[in-house]
Amino acid sequence: MSVSLPEQLPARSAPRKLATGVNPYAPAQARIMRVQDLTSEIRLFDLRFTDTALAESFNFRPGQFVELSVLGVGEGPFSLPSSPTRRGMFQLGIRRAGTLTNYLFDHVIEGDSVGIRGPLGNGFPVELFEGQDVLLVAGGLGMVPLRGLLHYLIDQRDRFGRVMLLYGTRTPDQVLFRDELESLARRGDAEILLSVDNAQGKPWGGRVGVVTELLDQVSFDVTNTYAIACGPPVFYKFMLEKLVARGFGRHRIFLSLERRMECGIGKCGHCAVGYTFTCLHGPVFSYWDAINLPELIYT
Amino acid sequence: MQTLRMNAGLLSSFLEALKAFGTLVAPVERSPGVFALEAIDDVSQARPDALRTILPFKKLLLKPRFVMLERRQGQYGTDGADNDLGPVVYFGAHSCDIHALRILDLLYLSDYVDPYYKRNRDRLTVVGYGCMPDGKCFCQSMDTSTIDKDFDMFLTPLDGRYLVTVNSARGDDIVRANQHLFQPATRRDVQEYLERLKEREKAFTLSLDVTDLPYVLELKKDDPVWEELGKKCLCCGSCSMVCPTCACFNVRDECPEEDSAQRVRTWDACLYREYALVAGGHNFRAARADRVKNRYYHKQEAFVREFGMPSCVGCGRCIENCPTGINVVEVFQYVRGEA
Repeated sequence: MSVSLPEQLPARSAPRKLATGVNPYAPAQARIMRVQDLTSEIRLFDLRFTDTALAESFNFRPGQFVELSVLGVGEGPFSLPSSPTRRGMFQLGIRRAGTLTNYLFDHVIEGDSVGIRGPLGNGFPVELFEGQDVLLVAGGLGMVPLRGLLHYLIDQRDRFGRVMLLYGTRTPDQVLFRDELESLARRGDAEILLSVDNAQGKPWGGRVGVVTELLDQVSFDVTNTYAIACGPPVFYKFMLEKLVARGFGRHRIFLSLERRMECGIGKCGHCAVGYTFTCLHGPVFSYWDAINLPELIYT
Repeated sequence: MQTLRMNAGLLSSFLEALKAFGTLVAPVERSPGVFALEAIDDVSQARPDALRTILPFKKLLLKPRFVMLERRQGQYGTDGADNDLGPVVYFGAHSCDIHALRILDLLYLSDYVDPYYKRNRDRLTVVGYGCMPDGKCFCQSMDTSTIDKDFDMFLTPLDGRYLVTVNSARGDDIVRANQHLFQPATRRDVQEYLERLKEREKAFTLSLDVTDLPYVLELKKDDPVWEELGKKCLCCGSCSMVCPTCACFNVRDECPEEDSAQRVRTWDACLYREYALVAGGHNFRAARADRVKNRYYHKQEAFVREFGMPSCVGCGRCIENCPTGINVVEVFQYVRGEA
């Protein structure tokens, strides 16, 4: 199975439009098909555009994001934990964190409609990964966008070399997609190592310790591997330099960043860091590009 | 491009004629020495000699607050009608003001086109007016003291007459509908224009050294000067509000009455504390020093990297309006260790 993705266009290209409409500020309606609790704080929503043509044609790159809104409540950016290899529906992994997400948790049920704009951002440069080994490293909620990339790699397994995932959370009950990841590991589709900072006395088959220590558990050929990291600021602070210490060139490390992406199209200014609009030039950057904007990683 | 002349006494007739092409917007004197851009009917109110208006023209292209999307009794509206300006003739734009429009165009008309901006911009006629700098103007340093594109007509005051530059088909329409107002420019008109140009270039007293500025800023990114500046700046956002190229906005939802909801777009400024706040409470620029630094880097480094030119046009509005007397030119002298 092989899919063709939308081209990764340079930021500030010739006029273009979003899949969800000519007016880039106007959302298209999507219906919530299914709601699942991943943890007590994080919920997985399955969505499908109400417009059938849009639902079937909606294509995106792993690592892109959408703006979800409920008119009268608010709008916010969410990364896609699903893969464009699986069409017709898409998923959003959402943490309860503010007005909009509280509303989604407390008032939105299966069958309701929400507004969606997108896809937004650049996404992962997956073309580079073909024929290469791919090392995914995730911390906490960083698993959400990396799960979309993981599905993309697994669904086209023969186009890539080794697929490795190192994933750490604070506690065992915060591990997202645990059953699915364990099943992928059993099938041999991916090499997966999990760790928690503290097992809290619960049954836990993985490692205990910080996620960076998982790096010491695997060997890889850094000349033939891309590392893709996603996690909170403190995760980047330690993980990125550790990858460099393990021999990765900074251009072989990619990361996805969170900022206040409000308009999503490089106009409103909120996600700007230096010359970079996270929503437009990112949210995926090579470590080399990101390290030259110090505010981008460590704040 | 076409160059004509118009007698100074015909200005009112010209302004009356402009009304046929849209709502006439021009600087008016609100109180002694304080000018604002307003739609006018009485053309005698127009004060094109006003050097700078409090707010620049952006206030009309994208209003400080407008409704982008609306739901009323189950019906969706996405027309942004309350930002709709209709056809407008902007009279009295100086060179820096026109450069500022070009910068807004780069931002709003490239890539994902902003439909609310575009609708007003498409129906805008720009009639420029030549100015003489004061002690707060530094457009000469920013290479924005003259303009040769993106306007329809431009009037440069000469002794008892204007040199009239016609720079678009719309400008040509205005001239053809009012042929009695114009005559071909003479060699003497051109000569006087050139003398005025020279006189104007000499009249600048403020200059900003832009030599290698993006890289100088890169070198100075961790310099203590930003902490010092953070202590002086109140982060009130006045400089952003009056800046002709600051165009950041915030979007929030409101429910003005039951069964109606609006997505409202308002002006915002990177100097405000909540600007880089994300869900969960993390603030990427919580310190004032970081926010004020960000603003200067955006203007003089970031915009240059992305669009090949700074997004400051040297109009002096931020100097005029800063309540604690921060002067952008002095800031960069300070950064260079020269003040």
